[in-house]
Amino acid sequence: MKTKLLGLGILAIVVISAIVYVWYSSGQTITEIHGYVGGEKIGLLEDEEIQDLLKDRYKLAIDYTKLGSIDMITADVEGKNFLFPSNQTALELYEQANGEPVKSEIILNTPIVLYTRSAVAQAMIAEGIVSISDGVYSVDMKKLVEAIESGTTWEEIGLSQLYGSISVGTTDPTKSNSGNMFAGLLANTLCNGVADENNLNEILPRLQNIFQKLGYMESSSSDLFDQFLKTGMGAKPLIAGYENQLLEFAVNNAEVWEQVKKDIVMLYPTPTVWSSHVYISLDESGNVGIDALLDEDIQRIAWEKHGFRTGVYDVPTGAENFGVSGLAEEITQVAPMPDANTMEQIIQALQ
Amino acid sequence: MKRIIALLLLVSALLMSCTGCYFEGSDDGGADTVLGNGRSVLRIVSGSENAELEPILEKFAQKENIRIEMTYLGSLDIMRLLSEDNIPYDAVWPASSLWLTVGDTNHRVKHTESISITPVVFGIRKNLAENLGFINQEVSVNDLLKAIQNGSLSFCMTSATQSNSGASAYIGFLYALLGNPEVINSEDLQSESLKNQMRDLLSGVDRSSGSSDWLKNMFLEGNYDAMVNYECLIIQANEELEARGEEPLYVVYPYDGLSLADSPLGYVDHNDDKKETAFLKLQEYLLSTDVQNEIQRTGRRSSYTGVSEENKDIFRSDWGLQPDRVLSPIKMPAADVLFECLNLYQTDFKKPSLNIYCLDYSGSMSGDGNEQLVKAMEQLLIQENAAKNFLQASKNEVNILIPFNSGVITTYTATGAGDELEALYEKVKNQPVGGGTNMYAAAVQGLKMLQDFDLSQYTPAIILLTDGQSGGSIYDFESVYTQLGKEIPVFSIMFGDADEDQLEELAQYTNARVFDGRDNLTEAFQTVKGYN
Repeated sequence: MKTKLLGLGILAIVVISAIVYVWYSSGQTITEIHGYVGGEKIGLLEDEEIQDLLKDRYKLAIDYTKLGSIDMITADVEGKNFLFPSNQTALELYEQANGEPVKSEIILNTPIVLYTRSAVAQAMIAEGIVSISDGVYSVDMKKLVEAIESGTTWEEIGLSQLYGSISVGTTDPTKSNSGNMFAGLLANTLCNGVADENNLNEILPRLQNIFQKLGYMESSSSDLFDQFLKTGMGAKPLIAGYENQLLEFAVNNAEVWEQVKKDIVMLYPTPTVWSSHVYISLDESGNVGIDALLDEDIQRIAWEKHGFRTGVYDVPTGAENFGVSGLAEEITQVAPMPDANTMEQIIQALQ
Repeated sequence: MKRIIALLLLVSALLMSCTGCYFEGSDDGGADTVLGNGRSVLRIVSGSENAELEPILEKFAQKENIRIEMTYLGSLDIMRLLSEDNIPYDAVWPASSLWLTVGDTNHRVKHTESISITPVVFGIRKNLAENLGFINQEVSVNDLLKAIQNGSLSFCMTSATQSNSGASAYIGFLYALLGNPEVINSEDLQSESLKNQMRDLLSGVDRSSGSSDWLKNMFLEGNYDAMVNYECLIIQANEELEARGEEPLYVVYPYDGLSLADSPLGYVDHNDDKKETAFLKLQEYLLSTDVQNEIQRTGRRSSYTGVSEENKDIFRSDWGLQPDRVLSPIKMPAADVLFECLNLYQTDFKKPSLNIYCLDYSGSMSGDGNEQLVKAMEQLLIQENAAKNFLQASKNEVNILIPFNSGVITTYTATGAGDELEALYEKVKNQPVGGGTNMYAAAVQGLKMLQDFDLSQYTPAIILLTDGQSGGSIYDFESVYTQLGKEIPVFSIMFGDADEDQLEELAQYTNARVFDGRDNLTEAFQTVKGYN
């Protein structure tokens, strides 16, 4: 009886000290920082490999609340250490409202692309809207906009199975970053350069007309992309999105990708715009996030598993590992987004 | 020591069994179907079309020991629910993601995944489809409209303001009548010729319904030419029709008015990790290859890949089905325009309803029962309240009130959507309670009053609320009913100690259904009104 009791006692001590140790070692050293994050990066921040690296190397845990890139600038930042929007317009707006942030840095990049099905891509090639070079599909934005504005139907370019006129499905530009950036890209196309105060009045009615014809728009980029893949060519023949969406999907859903990849085509607008995910630090503890996210291995995982290009001018390696044909090695034809004031006026006009 | 351990074990066993009792006995919140009897519970609010997937859900519930409580609501009701402060469900499963994204303004739904795809189509009796020249042809909405306008086709559809399939079809009609614009805008809706044509078109609607699955059931019990419904439900209807040796429906995909239901299943975040895990498990199960295969066997298409070779036998070409068709839907208008369309449908375009409310004022209703009744009717008769659920009256609508006890107490009639209608509410409120119960007497009175109307101009229905065993007999009702020579549904709301058998009998006889008002009478009245 006594030995049993002793045994139980020892067991209890071992258990208790183990609990205390775990609590002590984790509780003492890991700093948790909080911030607002655009929805596009949630896959990356939820990646266990990345979470482990943050914990082991930087004693850091990143807690986030999902919020739109523009909305987060005006949101209550009480208790937040950083903002992590998906474009640089947000940084400009932040600077206008609050002055220079404690620190800011571009962490990830991905270009705006269009997604379509191979039958549609072939028809657009025949029309001269799309061209292929080294297996990479480029879309001539000027010609595409012409086709949209003139109300050309899908049937007229040989796609009688599709109902309606040529259009690009996009998220609501007043709510979501990819739609917002696509509106910027269209504005650039309409003025043959970079849209600004000087040419805005001329292009706004045309821009409104293009968006008005879309009717109901999704409010999240990931929902739109998901529907593009799932509802088939008839429902979403052509949509705007981020390059990294397809790369991330192909890596994380290898089995499905194997079934559908023959039919999915990624088109690079010429020129396109970068979605630059800029990390805005609001205080000293927020700064740690910048160093951590720029860690070589985290940047590598961001590319390999989530498709984010990590340095604008670096050619990423191992592109073939995605199994996505038509992935451009370098994005050479890029225009800057219109500045923040111009974008604000565009958004207002589209509201 | 041993005793102490034994005692501890006993106590913990008791505790365990008590939690068991607690969960088993926990309130199922008025769910329509409970699957499995596990201790952890997933409460799902879903479009009625998913009732056909219950056997598949049941298997999961058994295997994982997770109890699934299904509550069926129209997609538009689900949309409204999502904007409320409290969502008493763990998951939502409307017919189309449109209603989910429009409703979820506070971003409380996550992990949303489309489970299957099915288009909204016309199913027309095959011989009739042949006479109309629709077999193996590409058919436009205008082709259908012509047949409706010249009287060779009448059809059933769900209410556009309650159910996704009805709303989708109606938006398709709007496009066609407007000459297929790129997208519908607010100005388009002001056109007088559109208004006239749309009223004309919707006058061809035989019967309406608040839910797609029930529309299918109603169709199978009645004698109709056609219905607008999901492809998968037409397939199920045909399987039943064929088993009975009856003529199947031929599926027509209107190429300029097609919409897709993408059946999104999303998680409502209440910060409960266990629920979230259970939800994700269910979603993974539904999206697994084997289960997707089973889902295809119910006539639904899979995301990404459509219909596999081995399941094409379900999509029979002699029923007009085209499993390989590229489904190219119309664009939905922007949210504000969409709501304008729905309001117009409810207040102007749809065939006017002729509602006869037979309301129980017997002695047993006194007190709480009567209070609940008055509250429920306030939500329907006071138009500001009704509008919140798209249940407003239209300008030619007729509402008749028949308070009853052991006989008809009196009757009131109100035409239109104005003061006359709202004045009925005062009558409901001020009517004293007392006496016995004879619902048949009230229903017979309702039928007699219908004889004074040209019923081709209305969708008539009797809505009957009772809380007790009724005197009289269905034979009293049947003799008057047969004289009328038209199918008038008697929807009843079960309350208090009502006799479900009596109500079911009446519902079956008139091809209607019984609603349970014991949990929430206001909701029951709202649902019934959505059927008419």
